[in-house]
Amino acid sequence: MIFCWRAPSGRATISCHEGMNAAQSSTTIRMRTGLLAWLVAALMAIGVLAMPGRAFAHAALVATDPADGAVLAQSPARFSLTFSEPVSPLVLTLVRPDGSQLALTSFRLNDQTVEIDNPETLKSGTHVLSWRVVSADGHPVGGSALFSIGAPSAAPVAGEAVDWTLRAAIWAARLFLYAGLFLGVGGAFALALLTGDVRRGRRFVAAALLLGLVAAPVSLGLQGLDGLGAPLARFATPAVWKAALETSFVWTVVVGLIALGLALLSLAGPPGLRKLSASAALLCVGGALAASGHASAAEPQWLTRPLVFLHGAAIAFWVGALAPLGLALRREPAEAKVFLRRFSRAIPPVVILLAASGIVLATIQVQVPAALINTAYGRLLLLKLALLLFLFTLAAVNRWTLTAPAEAGDTEVQRRLVRSIGIEVVIVLAIFGVAAGWRFTPPPRALAIAAAQPVSIHIHTLEAMADLSITPGHAGAVVASMVIMTGDFGPLDAKQVTLVLSKPDSGIEPIKRPARKPGDGTWRVDNLVIPLPGRWNARLDILVSDFEAVKIEAPIDIRSD
Amino acid sequence: MKKYLLAAGALCVLGTNVALAHITLETQEASVGSSYKAVLRVPHGCEGKATTAVRVQIPEGVIAVKPMPKPGWMLQIKKGKYEKSYQLYGETLTTGVKEVDWSGGNLPDEFYDEFVFRASLAADLPAGQMLYFPVVQECGDAADRWIEIPAAGQDEDALESPAPGIKLLPKK
Repeated sequence: MIFCWRAPSGRATISCHEGMNAAQSSTTIRMRTGLLAWLVAALMAIGVLAMPGRAFAHAALVATDPADGAVLAQSPARFSLTFSEPVSPLVLTLVRPDGSQLALTSFRLNDQTVEIDNPETLKSGTHVLSWRVVSADGHPVGGSALFSIGAPSAAPVAGEAVDWTLRAAIWAARLFLYAGLFLGVGGAFALALLTGDVRRGRRFVAAALLLGLVAAPVSLGLQGLDGLGAPLARFATPAVWKAALETSFVWTVVVGLIALGLALLSLAGPPGLRKLSASAALLCVGGALAASGHASAAEPQWLTRPLVFLHGAAIAFWVGALAPLGLALRREPAEAKVFLRRFSRAIPPVVILLAASGIVLATIQVQVPAALINTAYGRLLLLKLALLLFLFTLAAVNRWTLTAPAEAGDTEVQRRLVRSIGIEVVIVLAIFGVAAGWRFTPPPRALAIAAAQPVSIHIHTLEAMADLSITPGHAGAVVASMVIMTGDFGPLDAKQVTLVLSKPDSGIEPIKRPARKPGDGTWRVDNLVIPLPGRWNARLDILVSDFEAVKIEAPIDIRSD
Repeated sequence: MKKYLLAAGALCVLGTNVALAHITLETQEASVGSSYKAVLRVPHGCEGKATTAVRVQIPEGVIAVKPMPKPGWMLQIKKGKYEKSYQLYGETLTTGVKEVDWSGGNLPDEFYDEFVFRASLAADLPAGQMLYFPVVQECGDAADRWIEIPAAGQDEDALESPAPGIKLLPKK
């Protein structure tokens, strides 16, 4: 069984959200006028044009030893996987009959064959040899082969092993990136445009910017690791970075780095450029967020991407100003008054924008209220909302009860305001932490899309080969679509194609359906009902000529949802 | 009670037999380099439908084919080139019958019939191996294709629609 990386096994779909085509990100830009926005647009457009087309040919598994479905008398000393072209293994795992996993780390490359040492004597039962390799074209391909020792047992459920170290690293890098973009860039914006003469908090902002500058590339590498399912130790592997560069997250990092750079420029550069570069940096924060991520990837794109852009820019504006404002109020309360006045005048529309865009985006992602509780994404959203409620309450108190006396010079109130702003910053960081957690939870919208994804297999024999997809790839009413070719990729003008689905372990008689030709080069079986999830055997009976038929078969895993 | 069970059991066994009945050749062995009278036995229609045509593909090495006409059926032969030339009674044969079709008939599912042709088995056919005659049985729109040939080492019984075949014996 082979699935392309983009094909939808559960994991692939989930990791693909941030891997949406970067071409879409150019729509982000239309929102804001301004020279820099156009500049970024041009940059992105160039990037899109320069992006190489995805290669279609990639390594296919030709043979495994033990063969898929084989029953062996004894534990084998080694396994081997033979591919259609030379490959480089990324992750090799053996799933034992009890579902526990064993990482296979000792292997040799022998031309197109990967020879893997088996480190232990396998107990009887069904094992799964799971592999993920990257072929010469840089395209990761994964699959698995089942074999049994002694006698077959129930196929182990290969629970997706969660690499918690990697997750923690991804989360932390994301949190630091947010800190850099919002506290850093937003802070630089506040320093350049709101503070007036006070320049308190420069050191804090510079530190946040540097943190972001480090976190951005690290995030990208971690993204590559996660995409390939490779462990943290492979951080420096070229394949990992190549994979990372193929995701749309690279645009977030590139635009984010531009934002951080511009913000540094506004902080340390010539005073004439200060306001311009700080404004451009703020716009880039919005652009960076809109370039990738769950929210930006959602449909309708014309709405979500601009909203994410506004949401991001608004966060940076608000949150960025907090630290310089707090520090200014504490150290130079008299001079901070201008700052406080400008900020408190500008903030209500910004917060309204922030809340409105957030509400629309959340509605698109969650779809149904029940998903707020049923899904991890929804629960994180509730947590974020609770923190936000707290934050908004604090902010409202600051704005409408503390600001006026503080501006008037009431030192006691100023001190309270400073403390309150401090708490706000802490809550903001907590919200960043929650938002960074979304990286791991596909939104209900994406879960619904994932459920509708087809499941596809590629069957390749000497006589014939076929691509079979079943849509949606779960039990129930489905449509099967097949493309038939000869074993050497030539056209195969079959007279008839019959799809036979069987599940010998279920006691269900084989489902046999003739396929019809809709005229687009495929063969289709409509109105097919797959009664049970699990591993089915798909067989295609291809009538090549009147007296000659070819039967090819392969297992196909039907999901339960 | 026992009787009923027995009867039910017998029915089951018989039932399976009927379902398993394939189109077969009456004589299942023949010597290479000799003549062979092929009698195709058609035990039933296609899933209950009456048989309207029987077409048989002549494998390489089976030469000088002459089908037997059948009342009520239109008999056609398709000729073509052999892969190589064969000697038969001092004559060199390079072309001959490649397919025999009996069509336009009506053999209800309940009835049995036989379709006959005569042929010579070339002397250089590999003795000890099987020789298969793929058959397409047509029943109006439906068709059963008895065209499956077991792969090396595969059990013939595992096939759903095996082609009728004979075992080639050494030349006498």
